[in-house]
Formats: sequence, C-alpha cells, structure tokens
Amino acid sequence: MPTLSHFLLAVVQALALFAVAPLISGLSRFERAKMHTRRGPSIFQDYRDIYKLLRRQDLAPSEAGRVFQFMPVIMLGALMVIATGLPMLTRFTPIPAVGDLITIVYLFALVRFFFSLSGLDSGSSFAGIGASRELTMGVLVEPIMLLALFVAALVAGSTNLGQIGIAISSGTVHSAAATLLAAGAFAFALYIELGKLPYDMAEAEQELQEGPLTEYSGPSLALVKWGLALKQTLVVGWFIGVFLPFGSATEMSFFGLIGGLIAFVVKLFVIFGVIAVIENSVARARFRLAPQHSWLGVGAASLAFVFYLVGL
Amino acid sequence: MTSLSFFWISILVSVVGALASLLVRNSDSTAIRAASGVGIVASAAGLVAGLTALSGPAAISHLVGPYPFAHFVLRLDPLAGLMISVISLLSLVAWIYGLAYMREYEGRGVGGMGFFMHIFIASMMLVVAADNAFWFLIFFEMMSLASYFLVIFDQNDEAVSAGFLYFFVAHAGSVLIMAAFFLMANAAGSFDFAAFRETSLSPTTASIVFVLGFLGFGAKAGMIPLHIWLPRAHPAAPSHASALMSGVMIKIGIFGIIKVGLDLLGGQELLWWGVVVLAFGAVSSVLGVIYALAEHDIKKLLAYHSVENIGIILLGVGVGMIGIATDNPTLAVLGLMAGLYHLLNHAVFKGLLFLGAGSVIYRTHTKDMEAMGGLAKTMPWTALSFLIGALAISAIPPLNGFVSEWYTYQALFAGALEGSFLVRFATPIAAVMLALTGALAVMCFVKAYGVIFSGPARSEKARHATEAPHSMVAGMAVLAIACVLLGLLAPVVAPIMGNIASATLGVPAVMLADGGTLMPGEGATTVLSTPLIAVLLIALAMLPLVIHGIYARMRADRRRTEAAWATGYLPDVHMALTAKSFAQPIRMFFAPLYAVRKTVASVWACLTRGYERFVCFARRNEPWADTGFVNPIANSVGVAGRRLQVIQSGDFRIYCLYIVGALVALLIVAAS
Repeated sequence: MPTLSHFLLAVVQALALFAVAPLISGLSRFERAKMHTRRGPSIFQDYRDIYKLLRRQDLAPSEAGRVFQFMPVIMLGALMVIATGLPMLTRFTPIPAVGDLITIVYLFALVRFFFSLSGLDSGSSFAGIGASRELTMGVLVEPIMLLALFVAALVAGSTNLGQIGIAISSGTVHSAAATLLAAGAFAFALYIELGKLPYDMAEAEQELQEGPLTEYSGPSLALVKWGLALKQTLVVGWFIGVFLPFGSATEMSFFGLIGGLIAFVVKLFVIFGVIAVIENSVARARFRLAPQHSWLGVGAASLAFVFYLVGL
Repeated sequence: MTSLSFFWISILVSVVGALASLLVRNSDSTAIRAASGVGIVASAAGLVAGLTALSGPAAISHLVGPYPFAHFVLRLDPLAGLMISVISLLSLVAWIYGLAYMREYEGRGVGGMGFFMHIFIASMMLVVAADNAFWFLIFFEMMSLASYFLVIFDQNDEAVSAGFLYFFVAHAGSVLIMAAFFLMANAAGSFDFAAFRETSLSPTTASIVFVLGFLGFGAKAGMIPLHIWLPRAHPAAPSHASALMSGVMIKIGIFGIIKVGLDLLGGQELLWWGVVVLAFGAVSSVLGVIYALAEHDIKKLLAYHSVENIGIILLGVGVGMIGIATDNPTLAVLGLMAGLYHLLNHAVFKGLLFLGAGSVIYRTHTKDMEAMGGLAKTMPWTALSFLIGALAISAIPPLNGFVSEWYTYQALFAGALEGSFLVRFATPIAAVMLALTGALAVMCFVKAYGVIFSGPARSEKARHATEAPHSMVAGMAVLAIACVLLGLLAPVVAPIMGNIASATLGVPAVMLADGGTLMPGEGATTVLSTPLIAVLLIALAMLPLVIHGIYARMRADRRRTEAAWATGYLPDVHMALTAKSFAQPIRMFFAPLYAVRKTVASVWACLTRGYERFVCFARRNEPWADTGFVNPIANSVGVAGRRLQVIQSGDFRIYCLYIVGALVALLIVAAS
C-alpha cells in the first residue's frame, strides 16, 4: 500500500506536470522555429494562448452533445491520473495501483475514447474523419506498445512499470538484446502517439488526425490544448520511466527527489531535442502509409520477443 | 431455505408463468403483464438461489426420474451458482424491460413469446444445475428449441433463414456433445456426472472427448469459425431475448467447455488442450471485433462483439487449463477466475447494450445505424446507459470490463513467465491479440455511440424519437449500475470469482485482493485499485473544472452556433459521417481478414446448400416408401374390405348364424 508521502508525491508530480506541460510544448515550438532559422514565439507562448482562450466565449455547434462539452475535463482528469502512476522522479511508481503497464495503456485508451468521440459528437463530419483516423492510429500503435512493454515486463518479471525500470537500471535483465529492441519498438510506438511529423501535425488544426478539435473554441479549446501538451509530456515521461530510469530516486528522500527531478528534466530536454530534429527533417507521410510503417514497429517488437524466448 | 429450494421455486414459477402466458394469450396486455410479473418473481428466486450457491459447498439433490438409467440429479456448486446468478440477473432485467418492450409485438402472439421466454430461462437454469449427462442433453435441447422459436418470432424471411442456420449449427453441436458424453458414459458405466468425475480415461480417449466437447460447446458459444449463426440469429430475435441469448445463452457454451475440460475431465488435462483453447480465443477475439467494425446493423455489430468477448473469456479458460496441465494451481485459478469474471461482466454489459439497442429500435423502427443519429438529445437516459455499456465493453478503467481484462492479461503474463516453450510462446501472442482487440473495440464503440447518439438526426423517425418507456429505462439502469459496481467493487467481487474457480478446480484459493487493491496472487509485484482510480479521476478532473470556472465571469456565456463547420458549404445531413466511412481505414488496412470471412461464409454456404440438396433429395424420394410399400398394402386392404362386404348383408338372422358358427368353431378348438 502506498504511504501518505507516496501519495503526496504522486499528486505533486501530476500537478507539476500539468503546470509545466505548456512550457514543454512551447519549447517544441521554440526549437522548431530555431531550426527553421526564424525567431518564432517565446517558450511561454502556449501559456499566453491558453490564457487568451480561457477568456473567450465558448461556442458549440447546434448538434453538439454532452460528450463534446465534457471531453476536455475528462481528458485532463484521466491524463493526470496517468501522471500519478508513472515513475518519473522516482524509480518506483508513486501509486503502484495505477502504475501497472496494462492500466496505463487502458487509461490512455480512456483518453482516446473520449477524444475521438467528441469529434463525432460535435456533429461535424470533418471532425468525424479525424476521430476515425485517431482511432485507427490507436489500433496500429497499441499492439506494438503492449508487445514491447510485455517483453520488458517478462524480462523484469513484473508488469509494474516501476519494477521494470528497477530491473533495467540494475542490470538484472537476462536478455539485453531483447530489452534494447523492445525499447526501440516502444519508442517508435510512442513517437506515433506523440502526434508529430511524419504521422501528424498536432499544431495544425486542419490536420485530420487532430481533427476532433475542429469545433472547439474558447475555454474548451484551451483545456484540450493543455491536455495535448500534457499528453506529449506524459508519453515521453513514460519512456523515460521504463527504459531510461537512470538517475531517478530509488527511495523517498529529499535529495534523492531533487536529483531525480534534475535527471528527469535533463532527459526530457534531450529527448524533446531529438524529437525536434526528427520532426523537422521529415515530410508528412500519407495516412495510408501508416500501417506499412507500423509493421516496422511490430517487427521490432516481435524480434524482441523472439530474442527474449531464446534468451539473447 | 437452501439454494435448492429457491432453485425449485424459480423453476416452478417459470413453468407457471409459461402456462399463464399461454392461457391468457387472447389478451395481449394481460399476457405481457402475466409473463413479466411471474418472470420477475421467478428470476428473483433464481437470483437468491444462485447467490446462496456461490459460497459452496455443492448442494446435491437426487430425485426419482422416470428412467432407471438416468438419475435426475441436480448439483448446485459455486460454478452453477455463478451461472444461475447471471441467468437470473439478466432475465430479471429482461422481464422488467419486456413490460414495455413486448408491446412492440402486440397482435403478433406475445403470449407465445412469454411462453418461450419462460421455457428458455427455465431450461438454461436446469442445464447448469443438471448433474447427469442424459438430463443435461434434454435441457440443452429444450434451451436450443425455445431460443429457436424466439429467433423466428418475426416470421420474416431473414428470421426464418437465420433460425434455420441456428437450428442446424445448434444440432450439429449437440451431436458432438452427445458423442463426448457417450464416450465418457461408456467408460464410467453411468450417465451421472459424479461417475464421470471419478473415471479416468486414457489420454487418447480423454483428448477425443475434450475435442468433441470443445467443438460442440464452442458452436453454442459462437467461437470462430463456428460463429456463423450468431450474427444472424441474435439480431433476428426480439431485443430482450437477444440480450438473454448474447448475454447468457452463449455462456452456457463456455460453461460446457469448463464443465467438460476442467470439471468432468478434471486432472486429466493435457497441455495442448489449453493452448488450443487459447488459440481459438485469440482468433475469435480479433476477428470478432474486426467484423463488428464493418457492420452498420446495430444488433449485428453487438452480436459480433459477443464473438469477440467469447474469445476473451476463452483466453482466461485456456490459461486455466494450461495451469492445471502444468501443475500450477495458482496459474489455473488466475486464468479460470479471469474467464469467469469476464463471463459475468460480458453478460452485464452486453445485456445492457442489447437493451439499449432495443430501446433505440423501439423508437426508430430500424436496425440500421445510418438511419439514427442525434438520439442523445431525445433519449438522454438510453444514451447514458449505452455510453456506460460502451465504455465497459471497451475495457475502459475503472469499469468492470477493464478489471476482468486486467486479470486476463495478468494470467497470460503469469503463464508467459513459467512453463514450457509452447506456453511461453503462445501467451504473449495472445496478450498482443487482446491489446489489438481492445484498441479495435474502442474504435467500434466510438463509432456505435457516435453514429447512433451524436451528430445530426439522419431520418425523420430519429428526429421525432422520444425517450424509451420507464420500465425499459429501469432495466437498462439496473445493468448500467451493475457495470459500475462490478468495476468499483472489484476488490470484493474478485475473491468470490477466485473461490468459484478454486472450488471448480479443486485447488486451494489464491489471494486476489487485499483491502481496496487487486492483485494476481500472493506476493505479486503489481497491483490495481479501481476504487482509487475512480477517486483520483474525479478529484483530478476538478482542477480543469475549476480553471474553466475561474474565468467564467470574464467571458460571455456558452453559446450554440448554427451548425458545424463544413469547409464553407452549407451543412447537409448527407455530409454527416456514416458508420461505413468511419470504419473505412480499418477495412482498408485489414482487408485480408475480411477475405477470410468470405471464405468461411462460403464454406458454410456450401454446407447449407448441401443440406438443402439433401432435403430436396429426401423429399423427392420420400414418396418411394409410400408408393412401393405402404400404398399397395393400403390398396389391397381396401380391395379385400370391399370383397368382404358381401358377408355384411344387414339381415340379423344371418348375423345370428355367424355367432352360432363362431361358437361352434371355438368349442371345437377348445375341445381339441
């Protein structure tokens, strides 16, 4: 059972991520502008956007229903629950009852369910196509994600994300090649999940895959944008917690947590740098090509599984 | 009062209800009230019987049957208790729902519908309680026949042809089950299940029995490739009967597989049995949901999802078998428990979804989702219940579907950690199939809810729909609440399921919950807590609500615009996304799997055609016996009769002479 301090850590972790999420998405925008050799917005631009939108009127199409209205709140709530379960500053999961890999995968499914349903519920056919595409990507990504994590879990002997991280960082895994390949496949799946080029352009609202947002405006749009930024941060944090737990606190101590925080920020910064490079060096891939690309992930994850079976 | 007495009360009340609804069939509204009222009492008694039997030990009752070779034995063990609880809960809800829903069928013989529903429910209860192969088969047949009459109730071409297919497959299945039981009876020397349990068969015979039983019951359960009847028969029946068929009857197939594989053949399992079950489960789950996605008939879509969920249940049962075969009782209990939990959950949310579909059809008079749309505004309670059911079936935490799938994953994971190469190879693949199934199910139910309840109304009927009658909403609400409770109270429910599994397998119990957390066995390194997730979800969702609220004073009120943005054109109903276009990417990406269905369908079409030809042949040759054998005799009897007429002249004196003659002849015979 989690003690009170674990619980507090979890809540603080979730709130802190919530608070900095727009900063991280602002950083992405800033990095891209630099790569395009333009000045670009400040890294705080996303906060300003959200603040501006929060004061605008909330418009909804005449056919929109309750799901459309409540989706931003549900999405943010579910994402923050995920944030309480991921091992980020610590090596163990702050709340183990949320930190199971299956629970996290299905909590992301909860987000996806409402996110795409809101598209249909807005009554806009354009948003509906976006919903369909968002879900299709989910269908392509989720099996890769699960197989990769399953292999890592088998190597570590537990489906708890913290336990996997502990096993990987302590080097007690008995098939290194399998772990590396699983990490690769997982990274690939998460990259698609991030909604970046070549699979998506989260910033471009006319882009189909983020299409469910077409009809959002004002404070609802502000919350959804915030949610998307939080989701990107969480997805990267998930990878760090499972496959790159080095430097995180192994127990609850003040200096351990400070060290874990610094390590986490550095890792987050580096990974977003890498993502920015990838994102800005590729063109948008046609949607119909996505399944062919996802076979790459399936292949890598399956290979990891085979390596695990033969004990490489 | 024991579980058995409540069981008998329930059965007898059902029989009374069946007769009552026949007696008053001339007045439709009386028939509906009689059937439903009596049905509610019967189901309530059944629910008590089932819940009492859950805690075990098995209550056995020997009764005198009419046949000396087949003792009428009833056995209410925890597994039967679970099945009876599920049957009773669903029939209770179906009866409440039916109070209003059956009015849709007024003037078309609702008395008969009540009769068959009662017989159907009673025979299902008797099947799970019967502890003798002969009586089991009798009740199994009764169940199939009663449901057949519910399938063909509409009497249109589709219903009759679907009913025929159902009849055909159900009986092919029964024959296989019969063969399996006869093989066991042959070895045991009795039809009693008690004798079956004590007999040990040679591995070959046991395998043959298992395969026969698995295929026979698998046909009833609707696993792929024996599912072909399911997406046609379930949609044809009235919705509350479909809820019972999809929610409960196909579970009798699972029950049979557990009965044969883990109870009657207990301890004789071979490893490959479990792997075969796992393979069938994985294929059924993925293909079931993929085919469901391509449907735009709401009831067909739900029926295909039953195929999917049967597959998920089989995954759990398969791991249970593997656990017994590899002498790992913890794994066995974990697997079987996951399967049983999903069985219960699927009954609840599939029942709910079928009732929701029924309400929508009741108002729009169509099964085609493309002709619905926008119903969330006019039918808010139906929409909310359907949404809860959709979330539960998509395994969204913290609802019930997620808990049982979590246990299924944990069982597969536990299987993958130890055991032979075959098991370590098969279980992770099954887990990935389950993940694919989960993602597809989310897509399918976003589509179902979105196309039915969201967006613009796509037809005149949908535009003028109103909320379903109270009793229908009440029926759905009961199941929707059950979905939430079975998820949030998982720490209470999971140990009960674990006890049922360990009692069925005859192994010690496994620790599945501690306080508010769930765990897969003692010393497990991972835990889950659905109540905690629910609390966190609600608490953390407050933050965005507060942020939303802080700025409320600075902005104008929420306003509805004219219509959604349609790239500058005037919005039109025909622009709305259809069910077909929503699933189009999946149809494109998984095209080969749809081709598989065509092949399977054509094989079945061949079989049906062959059968029809056989019937034609038989019909053509049927008169042969008449013309060649019966007619000559009949003709000659006629001729002889006419000849003999001469002795019957009408003169009584001649008749006296006959009597005297007969007397003389008898005296001579007696003397000699």
